[in-house]
Amino acid sequence: MMIPDISTVLEVVLIAVKVVVVTMILFGLPLPLTWLERKVAGHIQVRLGPWRVGPHGLLQPFADMIKLLMKEDIVPDRADKFLFTIAPLLAMVPAFAVFVAIPFGENIMLPVINKEVSLYIADMNVGILYILAISGLGIYGIILGGWASNSKYSLIGGLRSSAQMISYEISISFAAIGVVMLSNSLSLVEIVKSQGGSLLHWNFFYLPVGPVWCAIFIIGSLAEINRIPFDLPEDEGTLGAGFHTEYSGMKFALFMLAEYVAMVSVSVLTVILFFGGWNSPLPVPLPIPPIFWFVAKVVFFIYFFMWVRFTLPRYRYDQLMTIGWKILIPVSLVTILITGFMRI
Amino acid sequence: MSDKKGGIDILDLIKKVLFTDFVKGLRITLGYNVSKSITHRYPDEEKWIPYRRFRGVHTLNRDEHGRELCVACELCVKACPTSCITVVPMEDDTGRGIADRVAKIWKVNLVRCLYCGYCEDACPTRAVRLGREYELACADFKCTVRNREELLLPQPVPESIEGGLVAKAKFERSLSGIKVTADLSATKKRAW
Repeated sequence: MMIPDISTVLEVVLIAVKVVVVTMILFGLPLPLTWLERKVAGHIQVRLGPWRVGPHGLLQPFADMIKLLMKEDIVPDRADKFLFTIAPLLAMVPAFAVFVAIPFGENIMLPVINKEVSLYIADMNVGILYILAISGLGIYGIILGGWASNSKYSLIGGLRSSAQMISYEISISFAAIGVVMLSNSLSLVEIVKSQGGSLLHWNFFYLPVGPVWCAIFIIGSLAEINRIPFDLPEDEGTLGAGFHTEYSGMKFALFMLAEYVAMVSVSVLTVILFFGGWNSPLPVPLPIPPIFWFVAKVVFFIYFFMWVRFTLPRYRYDQLMTIGWKILIPVSLVTILITGFMRI
Repeated sequence: MSDKKGGIDILDLIKKVLFTDFVKGLRITLGYNVSKSITHRYPDEEKWIPYRRFRGVHTLNRDEHGRELCVACELCVKACPTSCITVVPMEDDTGRGIADRVAKIWKVNLVRCLYCGYCEDACPTRAVRLGREYELACADFKCTVRNREELLLPQPVPESIEGGLVAKAKFERSLSGIKVTADLSATKKRAW
């Protein structure tokens, strides 16, 4: 029997630890994010937001969590039981799987075992393709959840979601292609490294095409994570609650979890693709760890998505299709042409 | 999307490309986000002091010599649309009231009362007035009926204060119930 040497064992252990840590963080993230979202909503509407549970309502997410855990888990009478149960998982697992390929910072030295550790689980050479493919799978949870509920609101929500996906997914992929053309690599680590240096090396400031790619990517991402102005699958005004009308308790919580994790992953992707990842915007003499810049940018974009949510109204169904097919796709085709000429 | 005149308005197109309306909207919501909230911190820190015209729980008043103004004429009972007031008169010439006839019982059922103020209009001696107390929640039915003795007590908000203010308040919990006491020396005008 072959005995693996110590460094291989250590490598495996490290990967397992990283996976556990990232999963734990992702499971924990919706707690502060729901609080933040409600606070942002409150203050934008000149209210206070959560206030009574704990100081400044900080314990509100825990109260919500306890409520969701204790609620009755209802399965509608004539629902497809198997699909109804598995749909929240199908929505959640891809949202988490995206984070396998995402780099969070430069390699760091672990002090005790004296080993250099990379702040990503896997540096895939096709990382961006992997992320686009996996995050596209999340839509299955929504469509199947809508279909399995045996409710007209859920069904319409699921159908809208599928129609929405074919309208925006193409332009998101084109935006990713644009970034790949600018950075000459499909690996996210290489994409971030190519934007090193100063602010002006960021893909966003690659004029004139950088801002266009960024705008296309953010608009498409808003549609992908089902947030206002493109939250048609869960349009409260017309569909009850859309695809998760019939869900309650923990199954509903899993959908919410998937949605928040998707929002984080989209913020992370925007930062990595266009805003230089963990590179600092300006040369600072202080020894600030790169992960600080990364987290700061991601937090800004999470706030930005919440900010947009409470600024814009919801687009109509046909307007979303028009934006996707008649504007975003032609614009991204033209921008690919311009980017190609600029990169010759 | 398409222009009805046939051509494309260049200025409009530039505005759309630069997301000017979107940026304007974001600026407005950001302004609201950093502005101060208008929510009253009731009951923890603040309490609303209503205007004089407010119609809250009834009060029975006295004249300047401390005699009860109520002469138990029962006009308020007749005027009341919900029959929530009960008055039982009695003879008393000891100077308790302004006349020889005073109320033995004067009680109002606050659950039935709709705070229309007809009783105060009907009162010939201005004895019954609707006051400014509005915290009526309680744990049992005992407190839904207010008697003459309670209604004759002096008001927590005196008549001299015009109202329409937010006062600093203290939230007190005890076994007998919860209470929000306003500090009338620290008031401010409403924020809007």
